[in-house]
Amino acid sequence: MEKLKKKIRSFSFWNWVIASIIFRLILIYFPNNLNLSSRPEVSTPLTSFRRLSEGYWLKQLSMSPYAGSMYHGSPLLLSLLGPLTVKRIEGQPNHLLYSLVSVIADVVSAMLIRATGQNLQVAYFGTLKSFDLVKQIEGSEVHSPGDVAALIYLCNPFTIVACMGLSTSPIENMAVILCLYGACSRLIPLAAFGWVIATHMSLYPAILIIPVIFLLGRGPDAPPRKLFLQMHQEKGVLNQSKLPPCFSWGPIIHFAFWALLWSVYVLVLCGISLKQFGGLWEMFKSTYGFILTVEDLSPNIGVLWYFFAEVFEFFWNFFLIVFHANILFMILPLAIRLHHRPCYLAYVAVCSMLKSYPSVGDSALYSGLLGWFVNELSDMQFSLFLFCGYVGVSPLSPVMHNLWIWRGTGNANFYFATTMVYACLQIVLVVEGVSAMLNHDRKLRSLITGKPRDAKS
Amino acid sequence: MAETKEKSHSDEKPKPRVRPIVRLGIFLVSHSFLVSVVCFTSGVLALFLLPVLAKNTYISENALMPGSASPMLSNHHVSDGNRLVKDLTNSNLKSSETGIESHKIIAKYMLDVGAEVSFHKFHPQMNQFHPLHFFSSPDSGKIQENCSCSSYGINTVGIIRAPRGDGKEAIVLVTPYNALTSSFGEVLSLGIAYSVFSLLTQVTWLAKDIIWLVVDSQFGEYAAVSAWLREYQTPKFSSHSTLNAEMCPDINYLFEIKVHSMAGSKFSNSFRRAGTMTAALVLKVRDQSEQFDDTVSIYAEASNGQMPNLDLINVVNYLAVHRQGLRVNVEKLWSLLNSGWLKSLGEIFESLATIAKSLNPKFKFGIPATEYVEGIATLASSLYYQALGVPTGPHGAFRDYQVDAITLEISPKFSLDKVWCSDILLRGGRLIEGVIRSVNNLLEKFHQSFFLYLLTSPSKFVSVGVYMIAFALLIAPLPMVAASLYVDANSSKGDSSFLFAITDTDEHGITIRSWRWLNSAKSVFIVHLWGAIVSLLPYFICQIPDCSPTTSFMIWVLLSILSLLILNLVLASPLACVKASQEKEWALVKSVTISSVFIGLGLMSVINFATAEIGALLMVPMCLLARPLKLDVRVGTLRSCCRIICNLVLGHIAFPPAAFFLFKGMLDGFGSANVGDFWMWVESLWAWNSATYLFIGMVQLPCWVLCVSILFHSC
Repeated sequence: MEKLKKKIRSFSFWNWVIASIIFRLILIYFPNNLNLSSRPEVSTPLTSFRRLSEGYWLKQLSMSPYAGSMYHGSPLLLSLLGPLTVKRIEGQPNHLLYSLVSVIADVVSAMLIRATGQNLQVAYFGTLKSFDLVKQIEGSEVHSPGDVAALIYLCNPFTIVACMGLSTSPIENMAVILCLYGACSRLIPLAAFGWVIATHMSLYPAILIIPVIFLLGRGPDAPPRKLFLQMHQEKGVLNQSKLPPCFSWGPIIHFAFWALLWSVYVLVLCGISLKQFGGLWEMFKSTYGFILTVEDLSPNIGVLWYFFAEVFEFFWNFFLIVFHANILFMILPLAIRLHHRPCYLAYVAVCSMLKSYPSVGDSALYSGLLGWFVNELSDMQFSLFLFCGYVGVSPLSPVMHNLWIWRGTGNANFYFATTMVYACLQIVLVVEGVSAMLNHDRKLRSLITGKPRDAKS
Repeated sequence: MAETKEKSHSDEKPKPRVRPIVRLGIFLVSHSFLVSVVCFTSGVLALFLLPVLAKNTYISENALMPGSASPMLSNHHVSDGNRLVKDLTNSNLKSSETGIESHKIIAKYMLDVGAEVSFHKFHPQMNQFHPLHFFSSPDSGKIQENCSCSSYGINTVGIIRAPRGDGKEAIVLVTPYNALTSSFGEVLSLGIAYSVFSLLTQVTWLAKDIIWLVVDSQFGEYAAVSAWLREYQTPKFSSHSTLNAEMCPDINYLFEIKVHSMAGSKFSNSFRRAGTMTAALVLKVRDQSEQFDDTVSIYAEASNGQMPNLDLINVVNYLAVHRQGLRVNVEKLWSLLNSGWLKSLGEIFESLATIAKSLNPKFKFGIPATEYVEGIATLASSLYYQALGVPTGPHGAFRDYQVDAITLEISPKFSLDKVWCSDILLRGGRLIEGVIRSVNNLLEKFHQSFFLYLLTSPSKFVSVGVYMIAFALLIAPLPMVAASLYVDANSSKGDSSFLFAITDTDEHGITIRSWRWLNSAKSVFIVHLWGAIVSLLPYFICQIPDCSPTTSFMIWVLLSILSLLILNLVLASPLACVKASQEKEWALVKSVTISSVFIGLGLMSVINFATAEIGALLMVPMCLLARPLKLDVRVGTLRSCCRIICNLVLGHIAFPPAAFFLFKGMLDGFGSANVGDFWMWVESLWAWNSATYLFIGMVQLPCWVLCVSILFHSC
């Protein structure tokens, strides 16, 4: 009976995967009707398809791809994806090959998310077993976090839009997920590769180093040792073999070595491809420099463009430092609090609201990763409110943009209001998610130690 | 507001301290019935108060300075205009088989005063169904392949280059003219435009180019204007335009004749442009009138309820009333003028105002009852035309390119004979001259005054800040009721969540409490998906050749029902095994429905306020009152009986076709109602890319279906 149930579930999982792929393939055939690649929500200066093909053309004309502040991505992407931007098949939509690559990237990401989710589930059950809590959950309905997360990632309209908008975010997301997958399944070279590539492409995944270190040092789900000691103190016996492993530095050194190797490799490749065009310095200036100094103030779904359009010139540097330091300030306390759940920390790290050029691709990534914790977050508050908020904001953004740009009856404040609502939603999501997670941990502890505690935050 | 629902059920255990805002939220949610009744009635009341709250219009942009210069249009220019009128009426008698002759005369006149002249040849473009048009830019890349030489129109364009300008800006004057069946009114409008035009070639103050566009209205005025604008705004770099000319030798021949006959002049065969358009005026003269005065009617509504900047209307209104002594008129719903209950409502407001005034003489907000009724009639028509989303004249084409434009229709007091003709030419010409002169003063494009407003009379308006209050009050109950329903549905079950259910309550089949709404969200989503399919169906149905409106409508209804059944079978059935434990499932469905309606109405209020307002009046009570009939029947009290009756009535009224026929019946009488009318109405909506169509298909219809399914829910 159990087997049958499982079979049905996996069957419907593959059904949904195939349906979402077919849906993407159908949408490929209407690129002009939807015009997604020109939407500010989908393509930022970093991920825009138009800029990619522009950079490719500049390079073909043996000019620096960074000339004219058009392209701000990696030179490796130019070599890999550039040829696809011009390749055309007769009688087919223009960017068929490129869109197919995006679709494949999405599917691969989903599969990696699924595998990681299964890893996480095993680790979670391992923890419960070591606390003798397995019988507690036997009666309850446990969702497979891998399947849920993969389906959320694949069927999320944001993912589909980012994929159909021909942005490069599916590929960036894939690098991030590759890193997390490698770290969860302890494939250190793979994790290092994913981390280096993700950082190389969009800089912000660099902060993934903290969760990755915890993942490698502790394993995907390591409850605090104190809890064990507490539990066994009460029982009077202390079984050393059941204790979770200490923080081990070996894999981390291993990771650092591989990360160094990969980054040298990537930099050498970049250096070769940019030899005539100013070399690596030029690349750093127009990719990382462009990201950090928020040069492009064209509207996107973040809040920085408006802020820096309004702020006085001489405060500019100060606020740049404030905003970027803010990310680190947020991540450090969370790292201390959530160090035993590195993957959750990774989710929090990924949804950086303070990104300088966010796009819907980012929210696609973090909502996918959120699916890993479907069981832990089952008591999350505001779920309907958040859902309705996302549903409401996503059509509001193009409407406000239309009012501002095409009708002329609105102004920049209209669009900015939408992006503020979006930012607030993300904040509520993170705050509620973290507090639900902490509540879950408290409940676990109260179950283990047998002391009923107030489980409210 | 929606946050409160969660807060309140985290409040089950006694807690020492709750934040005031949370307490307020809990209070509102727990009294949601009372709050929603109060909010809804005050929303409706606020709507009826709008004429009282309307402010007088004022010229917001200082640079306009209307009427500060004395008009320069003299009898000399009027006689010029008269000459053109005479020539055109004569040519009409001479050769009426082609309109080319009269276009030639107009071009000749334009050349005589020293303007640049060109012809714009266009093929009327059929309005097509672009369901996504609203979200994309006004696209114009579509090039028609199959243009036959037999159907084409010719716009005559005259351009005066401004002596003091840099050629970067222009003002457009449009006169529709059908050369084949030209009425005297059309010819007279040409005469007015020409007298102004001949004046403007001589003046020295002109800083913006003047474009006089004589549109060929044999395929409709709007189509011709939009064709010209498309050509003007998006130059084609392909060879299609020249190709067309080569394909049709006879047209080419006519063009050749012209070039020869006008050799040495400023005639050009290519498309001529001036700068960006600041404003556009469409001028019409009505043939016969029932008015007691010479009146100017202003039509301003463009597609999707967009309005031109209020300053433009103000300038016209000011000049017409205070300088030319014309009466200014905006559209009214005439049937409302005689309604007794509005009059008594107006009297109540008036008496309230007098009481208030007697208490404190500083309170001066009352208006006379007759004025109130007129205000309501104007407001209703303003709402109606904005909600329809169909432009009320050729000025609508300009608004798609962010150009402020209005249509002025002059209706003379007497039938048009020679004497009155000159009078109309003089006064109409001076009005146009004044408007052009004050727009000419503009330094920037219109931006000072309002774009979002409703008119209650030509000189009174309700701005967005005021009318939004009425709307906000109308939809404020929605999130509160959704929250309270959600809390009810959730708190009816014990605390059951993953991992801890067994310790708390030993219960099997645990559902994740916080995510229980997902199931209802899915059914709501399916219905909305169905709504999207229904709104796409006409695209396929209208491909069927030789289909009368009635049969098309029938096919549409059948296909819609079929698709609903199929969707239910495919998507809903595997998971539709609703557990018996979810006895409150309808409450969750209602809660999610209300949330979706709230989102839909909120979105629509940004896109097209009037549609959202009318939609809210219909949908909000239906959503709020929906409750399974079985439950009410079981209770059998007076209150539940009232609710049953209300539910049944609203369930009938809010169905979109029913609402349409009801509305039509109120306006035109029920005798002429026909099933096919609804199809024709819908067709006109999507032909004009009205967002109202999408609203009806994707918000109102699904909401109605969901509410009806809640009514017949078996619980």
